[in-house]
Amino acid sequence: MNRRTFLKRGLMGGAVLVLGMGGLAVLPTKDVATPKRALAVLEPRSFQVLVAFAKRVVPETADAVDVVHRVDDALRLAPLEAQRDFNKLLGLFENALPGLLLDGRALPFTRLSPESQDAVLRHWRDSRLELRRSGYQALRRACLAMAYQDEALWPAIGYAPPPTGAFEAMAYDDSKAGAS
Amino acid sequence: MTSLAAVRANPHVIDGSTSADQELTADVCIVGTGAGGAVTAAVLAEAGLDVLMLEEGGYYTAHDFTMREKDVMPRLYQEGGLRATKDLGVSILQGRTVGGTTVVNWTTSFRTPEDVVAHWHDKHDVKGFAYADLVPHYDAIEKRLAVSKVEESTLNGNNRKLFDGCKKLGWAVDTLKRNVYACMQTGMCGLGCPVNAKRSMLVTMIPDAIDAGARLVFRARAERFETSGNQVAKLHVTLLDAEGRAPTGKTLTVKAKRFVTSGGAINSPALLLRSGIDGAVGARTCIHPVVASAGFYDEDIFPYRGAPQSAASHHFAHRGADVGFFIETAAWYPSLMAGASPGFAGEHLAFMKNVNKTGVHVAIAIDGFHDDVAGGRVTLRPSGAPVLDYPITPRLWQTFRFAQKRLAEMQFASGAKTVKTLHDPERVMSSPGDVDRVVDGAPYEVGRLPVFTAHLMGGCAMGDDPKRSVVRSEDLRHHTLENLYVIDGSVFPTSLGVNPQESIYGLARLMATRLAARK
Repeated sequence: MNRRTFLKRGLMGGAVLVLGMGGLAVLPTKDVATPKRALAVLEPRSFQVLVAFAKRVVPETADAVDVVHRVDDALRLAPLEAQRDFNKLLGLFENALPGLLLDGRALPFTRLSPESQDAVLRHWRDSRLELRRSGYQALRRACLAMAYQDEALWPAIGYAPPPTGAFEAMAYDDSKAGAS
Repeated sequence: MTSLAAVRANPHVIDGSTSADQELTADVCIVGTGAGGAVTAAVLAEAGLDVLMLEEGGYYTAHDFTMREKDVMPRLYQEGGLRATKDLGVSILQGRTVGGTTVVNWTTSFRTPEDVVAHWHDKHDVKGFAYADLVPHYDAIEKRLAVSKVEESTLNGNNRKLFDGCKKLGWAVDTLKRNVYACMQTGMCGLGCPVNAKRSMLVTMIPDAIDAGARLVFRARAERFETSGNQVAKLHVTLLDAEGRAPTGKTLTVKAKRFVTSGGAINSPALLLRSGIDGAVGARTCIHPVVASAGFYDEDIFPYRGAPQSAASHHFAHRGADVGFFIETAAWYPSLMAGASPGFAGEHLAFMKNVNKTGVHVAIAIDGFHDDVAGGRVTLRPSGAPVLDYPITPRLWQTFRFAQKRLAEMQFASGAKTVKTLHDPERVMSSPGDVDRVVDGAPYEVGRLPVFTAHLMGGCAMGDDPKRSVVRSEDLRHHTLENLYVIDGSVFPTSLGVNPQESIYGLARLMATRLAARK
């Protein structure tokens, strides 16, 4: 095999590889969970991506599907444009085509192994692109903030607030209390 | 005595979510019931004016304050606590309920520093009042809201560490004033005081206004003013469902002799912009941007017990050509801190696990006093919702880096064994000798560490130059619309260098008193 043939085969092989990976990259989002109730803001695909994301991010004892439903509920209070941006961000996160260029991955996020998913999280966290970093932090913060609204997670961290209703009978009812 | 339960049941308190289309009239219509709106309403109603208050949020009371973020965040905070700046670089904590942010703030009460008022006079054409004019109003507000200085013996663990660490380093530090009556130290200020010890607008000035005959419609979102010549003719209002998420399809139209907008530093400029009122509207929005440091101690801190804020250091407030900052503590609530803590899965859990021995201290940058740290801008999204574009400039990042070093030094001085910035991935310091190396080696960029704000100021600046300001400083009246006033934190031409609630109360009381005299 002369040099020219080698190069030709190499280039063709590279092209086949990229096309093949590109083919993998456009595989549809994998269904990783079934919603427990109707979604308000998240599109069905976004829901799947965020559940896959949450499963890697929140404590193992948290129910990732419940967490994502809570995020969905919180998003109902956001402006329409922010709701749309959140869905778009999850689409970007899932999409392997830019991932192929920037992270070297050939599959949508939902189809990656857990270890590869963690590598994607770190890629986004450490990215030189501000959009990726802040997008990753927005998803991470939303999942973790909603996860820790669940009291079941509190004993593991030692958080022990007063019981709900502990002070109800003690509330001052006078608007002038303390006024002088 | 005025029973809060009786105020809530007063027929003048109207739930917009169940209201039909209607047209209301008033002498004065006030949009927003936070620090600015509630004080203005009380003063004007007590002066005999027919006052109508509008509030986008719901009417929640101590019975609803369950001390659980899952219940409270969607009810009491703008966008359920997920509000952020345009590039997601800064998380915004702002109230959205009857009583506004005063219901969820941490009770810290400072008068506006005298030198700040002088700066406004000299640099921002604020000639309509002097510091001395504000003093009697601060006095009156402090009496009404039971504002008093914290006894050092009552500092909680988190504030004790701040106080002791600063003392050890020779930095100025003091206990601060709080607007509480017989505080039961629940630690839950940020989630709504469950015992009404916090003398927020919800339990003081709004009841005063209702007592004096004012009306309040809640779940009512002010959409736009309709202007005619140099007057606001009407205000168009959308009524929202019981959860405050969607319009009911019913509307309210208000005709009033005067209109006051008191929606705060994001919503007031947004209302003006939606009404086609522009000029300097939305510009110079200052936010006291905050970075935090976590100190891990051997002994118990319990950062969620006791008054969240009771000590502060202004040692670094005046740094000349560099941006100043002040140091306070942060309340520790699990959802808030989970969002702010670095890492994911096991790494994140490890950070959260030490809660009872964690001290969280914050550096609050004083923006608006340097040309390249002049605040952000509120604009409208296509839907009409506001968004704050707040670019963090290189000088501000430098300030954060410097401030983070000082926070770490203070935490080590007060006994911390380990200190972490909130960078993601985490940056760890094991001794004071690590501080410069670790902090200098950490990246200060959007998306690398969390930045917060709970103090929103500016966007409808007061001043006597119409090109640089929105309202006149003598009475906070719009420069050209003769019956439109802005009375809230949005009128400040800069940030304050102190927590803003009392500054808003005092200015609102002065201006409402002047307005009442012109009835």
